[in-house]
This record gives sequence, structure tokens and C-alpha cells, in this order.
Amino acid sequence: MKDKENYNFPDDAGRYGEFGGKYVSETLMSALEELENTYENLKGNEEFKNEITEDLNNFVGRPSPLYFAKRWTEKLAGAQIYLKREDLNHTGAHKINNTVGQVLLAKHMGKRRIIAETGAGQHGVATAAVAARHGLECIIFMGEEDIERQSPNVYRMKLLGAEVCSVTSGTKTLKDAMNEAMRDWVTNVDDTHYIIGSVAGPHPYPKIVRDFNSIVGVELKDQSRALFGRFPDKIIACVGGGSNAMGIFYPFLKDNSVDLIGVEAGGSGIETGKHAAPLSDGSIGVLHGMKTYLMQDESGQILSTQSVSAGLDYPGVGPEHSYLKDSGRVEYNSATDEEALDSFHDLTKTEGIMPALETAHALAYAKKIAPKLDEEEIIVVNLSGRGDKDMANVAKVEGLTL
Amino acid sequence: MSIINSTFKNLQKNKSKALITYTVAGDPDLELSEEIIEEIINSGADIIEIGVPFSDPMSEGPVIQLAHERSLKNKTSLPEILSLSKRLKKKFNNTPIVLMGYFNTFINSLNSDNNFHDINDEICEELKNSGVDGLIIVDLPFEESEVIFKKLSEYQIDLIRLISPTTSELRINEIINNSSGFLYYVSLKGITGADISSYEELEKRVQNIKKITNIPIVVGFGIKDQQTAENMSNFSDGVVIGSAIVDMIEHIKTKKTGNDFAKLSKFVGEIKSSLQ
Ligand SMILES: Cc1ncc(COP(=O)(O)O)c(C=O)c1O
Repeated sequence: MKDKENYNFPDDAGRYGEFGGKYVSETLMSALEELENTYENLKGNEEFKNEITEDLNNFVGRPSPLYFAKRWTEKLAGAQIYLKREDLNHTGAHKINNTVGQVLLAKHMGKRRIIAETGAGQHGVATAAVAARHGLECIIFMGEEDIERQSPNVYRMKLLGAEVCSVTSGTKTLKDAMNEAMRDWVTNVDDTHYIIGSVAGPHPYPKIVRDFNSIVGVELKDQSRALFGRFPDKIIACVGGGSNAMGIFYPFLKDNSVDLIGVEAGGSGIETGKHAAPLSDGSIGVLHGMKTYLMQDESGQILSTQSVSAGLDYPGVGPEHSYLKDSGRVEYNSATDEEALDSFHDLTKTEGIMPALETAHALAYAKKIAPKLDEEEIIVVNLSGRGDKDMANVAKVEGLTL
Repeated sequence: MSIINSTFKNLQKNKSKALITYTVAGDPDLELSEEIIEEIINSGADIIEIGVPFSDPMSEGPVIQLAHERSLKNKTSLPEILSLSKRLKKKFNNTPIVLMGYFNTFINSLNSDNNFHDINDEICEELKNSGVDGLIIVDLPFEESEVIFKKLSEYQIDLIRLISPTTSELRINEIINNSSGFLYYVSLKGITGADISSYEELEKRVQNIKKITNIPIVVGFGIKDQQTAENMSNFSDGVVIGSAIVDMIEHIKTKKTGNDFAKLSKFVGEIKSSLQ
């Protein structure tokens, strides 16, 4: 990567090289401008920073531990595997790092209504929780298919006082939930803030969500200095829209000794075409307000995706990942449904930690490479979320009933 | 002068306002959608907006979303839509044709260069050769399209911009400087097919824009009947009717036979007469 020394994206136009931008209808432009101004004004403000730190510490439970997966490391007989425990956050995933920040932006903008899209339901739950905590109205858009496969999270959102809106258009998954959230937003733009749940969508969302999630990488830097006296050799994270990956990668972008590896959902296998891996097997286009790699046909129609994990089942990816792929700074791979399920069981049985199916994709890749590496080497996997939400789905995939 | 400009000039001369209709190409199928557009032109429409179907039509309400889905079931593609446009242009060479769609289909289905993701000469030439007079790209604000605007104007293809109730004065000026053909004022905050709430506010906004530009300005989104069309035309240069027509098309299953075609042409005729 030629310009990594002065990596400074996005630029003023919200671009990461060719990627990113603001491709939305005119009605939303003013809302994006308002959000950008609010964020730029507040982000250096001490009071605002304290407010966020306070919530991250006492509401979310940060910092999250860096855990040595001793038995799994021994079993794989290669590099040492450490887990950054985002699953221990309140509501069970990294998603809350972003919602804690965005809800404060919403309050500063005087919005009384919060909307969000969700796939796995983790972002929905994280949004519903902060909305409850701040007494704001909350509506979550979720594809009909995801409502079925992530039902415990649907009930959690309802208990937290959110209305869950079932989306039946298109493929009835995450991308359609995002379309519907956008439609709600244009209609209620005056009093509503849309909390996008990943580093996707129009500028300034990819930047804001990255910044709020960067706490993960920032903590990891401190923890690795203290624990190893150096940075890890490899950091692995799963990539849906790419927020947990961006959060743990971003603080390390300029540290060339650290290999950064994103793992997409390989579904039934990249060669089958039935997957959700636009960086591995996609082409450049525009969707949901951003220019990025997408899964699309030769007519520019977005393809339906396939993954066992609802949170990765998305045909696009955050624009910064597209840039990092093309620049070569981050390596992107994929893991199939089968490999993810295998690692889901592995970690649960060997370490007593049940990972989310999304996270299991990152684990599957760690499992693949660890045995080939020297035992001096250190791999950190971003354990983006816990797997309780997936139990019914895993049972179903394996032909069991609970 | 572009045909869009001359169309508005002629309407002004005749003290009439423009009726612009929106239908989705390939709904219910390509052949029928062609006949429907012909019927609509014969019934009095002045400008034809042809919707280019997209898998993720984010700005559309339920009625038009379904039309996009019906069209995509038939795998309607942009090259096919351009052939349709070409045939229409042959028959009705004075009726402007405007394609309305989402950016991704334009950059990813006409371009032979997979490494280029914008609107280039190749695309402009294809559009021009197909009789396309203008484009409305819903998800392409002026910030993302200064170059595209210049490129299209080299080919005398108008880039028609939307202005919405949330557009600031500053942006309105920028938009005016970066648009041609006509301005499309979105009557409401929301998606196609929703209901208009405040007429007075709308009228004031449109009149304010008219004070600073000579580009014709039409009102669209939420116009479903004669009365609304007439009200809107009192302070604008025309109206766009979309969902109301698409809703009628949903019932059209066969060729010209049957009531549905007759109903549609009656509706279009009535709206046009309310704009005189
Ligand atoms: C636990 C977990 N990890 C990862 C993801 C994928 O999102 P992202 O790529 O934005 O981190 C999700 C999304 O729902 C999730 O719940």
C-alpha cells in the first residue's frame, strides 16, 4: 500500500479512494449533512467523550478481556490463539459500541425516534437497549427470514420496548431490512435518527461506525503491549458489513508487522455462487448509498446471498474494506457454512465459549492457519459476539429440535 | 433546443401544463408495457418517464416496488429498455423520453469496461441512439455527479434533478446550476405513493424556486387524482403521476382487450384535461 503512512480516509467527500460517497435520494442529503456536522463538532468535545467512556465502562462493561484460548491452541498445535472478548459486552456483541455513541448523537440532534435494520438481531438488540436507556421510541426493521432464524433476539427487542417490523420485500433478509429502514427514514426524517449497524451506507456512517468500534483495536493495542510486549502477528475478524473487523483493524492499519485478515461468509462455497462474499467474488457497484464491492448480476441487479449466519448474509460490504482489499493492506478470505459450524462446536466444547455463527467464520479461518504457524506467533480473533441467539438455528441445521 | 425544452415552450404557448407519466418498463411484460406507454401518449401525456427496474428500489412505496418486482421476474434489462425507447421514439418523435432509475443499473449493465464504474461516452452514445432525452437517477445527488452532468450534456441528454422539502436554499442553488430539462419537486418527505400533507408550504417552496430559475419545475410523488393534479399545476409547470397509474397496470393482464386499458386511458385523459 503506497500511502499507508498518511492513511487518512475518508476524504472530504466521504470517499475511500474510489469507494464510499453519498448515493442517496435528495430528501436524505440534509439529514446526512446534519449528522456529519453534529459528529464532527462533538467528537473532540471532552464532555461528549466522557459521556461515551462512561457508558462504555458502566453500561457496556468495557474494556473487554483478551483471553488466551489455551486448550484450543494446544489442540491446533501451532500459533497461540487469543480472543478479544466482545461477546462479553452488554447485549452480547460488538454492536453496542456503535449504538452507545450514535444514540448520543441522536439526542444531540434532538431526535426522539430511533430506527435500525438488523440481520442477526444483535444490532437490533443493541439499538433497542440504548433507546430504552434514553427513553426514545425505537423501531427495528428485520427481514421475515431472519425473524424466523433469530427468534430469541426478536423477543429481546420487544422486551426492551422496541417495535419489530417484519420486512417481506425482496429477499426478506438484511439488505431488504436496510431498504425499508431507508424508506422509513425519508418519511420521518425530521424527528428520526437512523442508527446504521455496520460500516456501510452513505457517508458519514462508515466513518462514524468505524470510529465508535475502534475502541476494540485501541484496547487490543494496550492489552498486547502489556501481555506480549508487542503487537499480535495476525488479527482475524469476520466481515458482514464489516464493523467488528474495521473496529479491530483500524488502529493497526499503519502497523505493518500486523497481518489483518477479514473472513467473509462462504455459504455453500465460493465456487457454488451461493455465498455472501462480495470481496471474494463480487464486482464494484452502488447500493445503500455507497460505492463498494457487491454481489450482483451482469445487469446490475443485486443477487440474493446465502449464509448460515444472518449477520453476514448481506450482498455488500463497507466501502473502506473495498479500499483496503484493493490496496492490499487487508487480506480477505472466506469460510463456508460447514467450516463455521465446525468451529462453533470446537470453541464451545474446548473453551466453554459459545461464539455467534458470524464470529465462527473468523474462528474457522484461524483454525485453518494456526496449525501451519510457529508457536511463537500470536493470532488474535475478534470474538465479535456470543452464540446463544444461534442455538435454535444450529439445532435446526443439524436436524435437531430443542 | 432539446425536445424537453421545446415541449415546455409549446405547453406554455398553449397555456397548458405538462403531464408526465411514470410506468415501469417490463411491467407486466416488455411488450405490454410498450402498448401501455403508447396508449398513455395517445391519451395526452406530454413526457414519458420510463422506470428502469432495480432489485432494491429504496425510494419507492409498495405499489411501485411491486412493479419493479414484476418486471424483474421477466428479467427486463436496460438494453431491452433502450430498444423499447428506440421504438417509441420512432412512433412519437416529439414526445420526450426520460429514464428513471437507480445508479447501479446504469453503470453496471451498459458498460463493456468492467473496470469503470461511472457514466462514460459509451453509455451516453447508447442512450442518445435509443432516443433517450433525459435521465432521473434517484440516488445520485449533484455532489456525486458533476462530471456525469457535463458528460451527458455533451450528448444533449438532460440530467433531471430532484428537489425535496428538506433541500436547503444553498443546495437548491447548486442543484439548479447542475441540472437541465426540468426540475422535479418531490412533494413530500417520503416514498412514492404516499400522501401529500401541506399544500401551502409546497406552493410557497415551488414559487420561491421559480423566482430564481427559468428551468421548468414539475411536482411529483403523491398525485393520484384530477383535483390534486389541478391544484399542483396552478403553481408549477406540470405534474408527475406514477403510483396511481402503476396501480392500474397491476390489473392489466392481457392485450388491449378489456376494461383495464380503457380505464387507464380515460384516467390519463382526465388528468390531462385538468391541466389545460
Ligand atoms: C456477532 C456478530 N458478528 C459480526 C456481525 C457482522 O457485522 P459486521 O461485519 O458489521 O461486524 C454481526 C452482525 O449481525 C454479529 O451479530
